[in-house]
Amino acid sequence: MYSSRITILVGHFGSGKTEIAINGAQALARAGRRVVLVDLDVVKPYFRSRSARAVLAAQGIEVVAPQGENIFADLPIIVPAIRAAVRDPARTVLVDAGGDPTGARALGSLADAIPAEGADTLAVLNFRRPFTTTATDAVAMVRAIEAAARRRVTGLVSNTHLLGETTAEVVLHGYELARQAGEALGVPVRALVVDEALEGELAGARLGAELTVVKRVVRPPFELSGRQRTTGPLFVVH
Amino acid sequence: MAKKLMKGAEAMGEAAIQAGCRLFFGYPITPQNEIPEYMSARLPQVGGTFVQAESEVAASNMIYGAAGAGERVLTSSSSPGISLMMEGLSYIAGSELPVVVINIMRAGPGLGGILPAQGDYFQATKGGGHGDYRCLVLAPWSVQEAADLVQDAFDLADYYRNPVLILGDGLIGQMMEPVEFKADRRPCKPLAPKTWASTGWKGDRPRAIINSLFLDPEALERHNQKLAAKYAAMERDEKRVAEVGTDGQYEVLVVAYGTVARVVYTALDDLRQAGVRAAMVRPVSLFPFPYEAVRRAAEKAKAVLVAELSTGQMIEDVRLAVEGRVPVHFIGRQGGMLLTPEDIAARVRELAAGEGSHA
Repeated sequence: MYSSRITILVGHFGSGKTEIAINGAQALARAGRRVVLVDLDVVKPYFRSRSARAVLAAQGIEVVAPQGENIFADLPIIVPAIRAAVRDPARTVLVDAGGDPTGARALGSLADAIPAEGADTLAVLNFRRPFTTTATDAVAMVRAIEAAARRRVTGLVSNTHLLGETTAEVVLHGYELARQAGEALGVPVRALVVDEALEGELAGARLGAELTVVKRVVRPPFELSGRQRTTGPLFVVH
Repeated sequence: MAKKLMKGAEAMGEAAIQAGCRLFFGYPITPQNEIPEYMSARLPQVGGTFVQAESEVAASNMIYGAAGAGERVLTSSSSPGISLMMEGLSYIAGSELPVVVINIMRAGPGLGGILPAQGDYFQATKGGGHGDYRCLVLAPWSVQEAADLVQDAFDLADYYRNPVLILGDGLIGQMMEPVEFKADRRPCKPLAPKTWASTGWKGDRPRAIINSLFLDPEALERHNQKLAAKYAAMERDEKRVAEVGTDGQYEVLVVAYGTVARVVYTALDDLRQAGVRAAMVRPVSLFPFPYEAVRRAAEKAKAVLVAELSTGQMIEDVRLAVEGRVPVHFIGRQGGMLLTPEDIAARVRELAAGEGSHA
């Protein structure tokens, strides 16, 4: 899934970009890469990867996002550090872009700083979200994001799920829709994301995409136990 | 309909559409912007109308007008915006019109912050605007319940010809959970035709005039007494409550509403495993407040703990319910900070052990 030094995750808000970005950053760091996680999310006021800064820093992942008093500001804030990270060839950069075309606009302002060659732009799709329930919806969403982000999507990430109520059938149906959207867009489905709970069930499925296993790291406070570290009012990364 | 993964805000918007609401008037404010955003995308698809008003004051008067014309109408806002709507809400209650208002509470007072809080309990349940009126207030603890309560809210508003307030904290608006909308849902109240609606007089009936002005004091007193009888009927018929573990034996009863009750629920689980006996009453309707259920459950406990994201508001209703029979203690966070299951469990342990009775 992360074959380029720079990977940008775009998609409908709530499609799962933050979960995938944090899981991806952790996996890349474990593999010995110097990872920079860039949080461009200006759409979701509560769930943002920058809340997880301390936990991720301990894992060797640098989070580039507004700090201090700006953490909870609901304003688009783009820091010069993003440009520096993107220019440094020694670093692997993962960009968690904001949801929807609205959120992708911040990405559009970095069009000159992130060259199109050598960067992957992957659209995360969850067909159980209300505005992307069909392949046609997904194609329209991707086109609108491309226009706002001023860059082409180079692949899709199938992330259809219903949180704790996800079944293999839900995942596979979503994958089929992602495949149809990919055909219409002329791009491959680069990864099929599944929760670790379903890994065993889906590991044997012969699919055309890489199976990427994630564990839920973004959780509301009522699901937190004492063993989990709170990294923000509404956010935990463990 | 297949289950969808929705933010609370989106689910509440969709619930309104499923309930036949085709009009939304509002003004953006974090953390509930996903409601107007959702309605702005969905209403045109179903032949409805979305208007971003010039202010919350304007929005509250737009819903007043739409309700007066007999339409199902929704507005939503967050704490400071809801304060601005209070004049309109008082007029709407005085004119006996059905509207649904969603308040996704953020931390206050004033502009406060954008994180979750429950500091608007007094405003929601004890009036808010001027005059002798009440809103029916419902407080969901999950995205599914938020969707269900919004649909019920439209039926209750029409039945009582009264504003119904959905009171959620910021978390309810922002968190995502699977939601199902049932195609065969029936209204939760019998609904009569809106013969009172002001839809244009054609000489075939008395004029339907929407009004909250009564200059004759005798007429205004009669009007107030009519409203009071309506609120009494709500208190008799519309109490909603959920209980966890109150049929067993326990030493501490926790009372919490909204997402704080989810935190308490996790804490009760941890406490049970540790052998500490505790139960929870979760008021779902905040007006009418389920006094009897709280009293009944409290009488079996040696201490009551009220958990809120405020400095203590619902605790006053809990004290009224308990009538001094059992000591009532408080635990809360403010400013957008949240209670954790450990906070609750630690306090319950203290109270179960007979400590911490100073509060």
